[in-house]
Amino acid sequence: MANTPLNQVRFTISNVVDVVKARRRGLVVATEMGLHPAEANKIAVVISELGRNIEQYAGEGVITLTVYDKYVEIIAEDQGPGIPDVARVLAGGYTTSQGMGLGISGSKRLMDEFEIQSVVGKGTTIRALKRLR
Amino acid sequence: MEELDGVGAASTIQKLESLLLVAVPRDLTDRDVLRLRRGVLESVRRYRSRWVLLDFSRVDICDSFFGRFIQSTARMAGLMGSEVIISGLQDAVIETMVELGMTLPNIHAVLDLDDALALSREQEQQDGGMPAPGVEPLESWEDEVVVASPFTNLSEV
Ligand SMILES: Nc1ncnc2c1ncn2[C@@H]1O[C@H](COP(=O)(O)OP(=O)(O)OP(=O)(O)O)[C@@H](O)[C@H]1O
Ligand SMILES: [Mg+2]
Repeated sequence: MANTPLNQVRFTISNVVDVVKARRRGLVVATEMGLHPAEANKIAVVISELGRNIEQYAGEGVITLTVYDKYVEIIAEDQGPGIPDVARVLAGGYTTSQGMGLGISGSKRLMDEFEIQSVVGKGTTIRALKRLR
Repeated sequence: MEELDGVGAASTIQKLESLLLVAVPRDLTDRDVLRLRRGVLESVRRYRSRWVLLDFSRVDICDSFFGRFIQSTARMAGLMGSEVIISGLQDAVIETMVELGMTLPNIHAVLDLDDALALSREQEQQDGGMPAPGVEPLESWEDEVVVASPFTNLSEV
């Protein structure tokens, strides 16, 4: 079946070391499934950016990396403060932490699909997908 | 679990001619990055290094935080009269950095250590043989610098 996960890794994130470990593991998984090194690299960087945001803005959360037959999916979930203006964040250059406002807008560019569901006071779920060519 | 060589690992900083050679480890945490940057500044002062070479050949994941580290290190070293060169960026890392939208203005990039050495030597020679400002017309001075500089700016790649 096309939609059966071939492989799934779950990372709980609550500090920077968790982020560093998750992105390294993500790179290994993506490389092992035969992705081009540059594509595997993008998966790792997206995990890093979303993981950092979880650690920085929500305190804790979970990132799941799932490999399917035709695509790789990254889901980042947290029960943090949520994002009041998702459109602005997606546009890039917007930061509440003296960052570059590059994490989300840049990650979107690295992936084929990218969606944010966020409710202020409840949390944020980001789903990002890369098709395998 | 994979080896994380940055977490808690010391990075090596060595003096090589007028270069300060910094082997940047992969998997740096924020605290490692801060420590590394301070180590670089201390060494620039100690050795009066004109150039800081950040060797990125070990780094296989470069996120926006790492990009900020490069920029801030360059700005700080710049206040000591030292310029930052990055070398050894991997193809995959370059592709991701550019697509992510990371720009590194005012940072020289070279392929490897040999090119970095060549660049610094050439520049040293030029500085040594350069007439005092005002002696030569400004245009010819500028021309000379541009022609003789094999700098690659990452943001233009
Ligand atoms: N999980 C999250 N929960 C709450 N707010 C978030 C979350 N992720 C991002 N944000 C908000 O969105 C803004 C933009 O995020 P983005 O990652 O694009 O940039 P940044 O983190 O500010 O800087 P950079 O990632 O470039 O270091 C953040 O400053 C923050 O206000
Ligand atoms: Mg961010």
